Amino acid sequence: MLVITPDVLTDYILKSLPDAVVTVTDRTGTMDHLMVVIVSEGFQGKNLLDRHRMIYQALDTPMKDGRIHALELTARTRDEA
Amino acid sequence: MAEPIEEEIQKEVRAHKILIYGKGTEQMPMCGFTRETMQFFDRYGYPYELIDVLSQPAKREALTKMTNWPTLPKVFIDGTFYGDTDILDPMATKGEIEPLLKKAFGK
Repeated sequence: MLVITPDVLTDYILKSLPDAVVTVTDRTGTMDHLMVVIVSEGFQGKNLLDRHRMIYQALDTPMKDGRIHALELTARTRDEA
Repeated sequence: MAEPIEEEIQKEVRAHKILIYGKGTEQMPMCGFTRETMQFFDRYGYPYELIDVLSQPAKREALTKMTNWPTLPKVFIDGTFYGDTDILDPMATKGEIEPLLKKAFGK
């Protein structure tokens, strides 16, 4: 099974949100169910739906090619953290 | 003029106060996130509808375009798109779900 590594996932996020602090947690030990927390000022003034859309956009490639299977997202700014 | 499949979706969204487009059936959800979403709404005690789109790729595709949201499940409450439990859980923490559902069901 093709899976992504936390470093590669983080790189995809950083391409869209260069200031992001990304924390990847492997929920199952097999990297097929990931919990990803992203803290970035790029989320300022955006509602949760749009923040998640930004992240899905950034992860479009690994989601489409199957390297990301299941993803739980948290997106917040530094002040909200 | 909207595509027939989009009209069908709009009709479903109007017909159900809580609508989950997911994977599998209520008896046999085929994905942990769909199950989680059902459990989320079970806490509130309002009826919800689950429509399986795993077996309907065209509808799945149309939904993704309409919502600009790539993943399943997709939740609609009272005609409005709310994403999934990543969005609903923080809303619940802030106490926003109960009043939303009360309003939707006219209570």
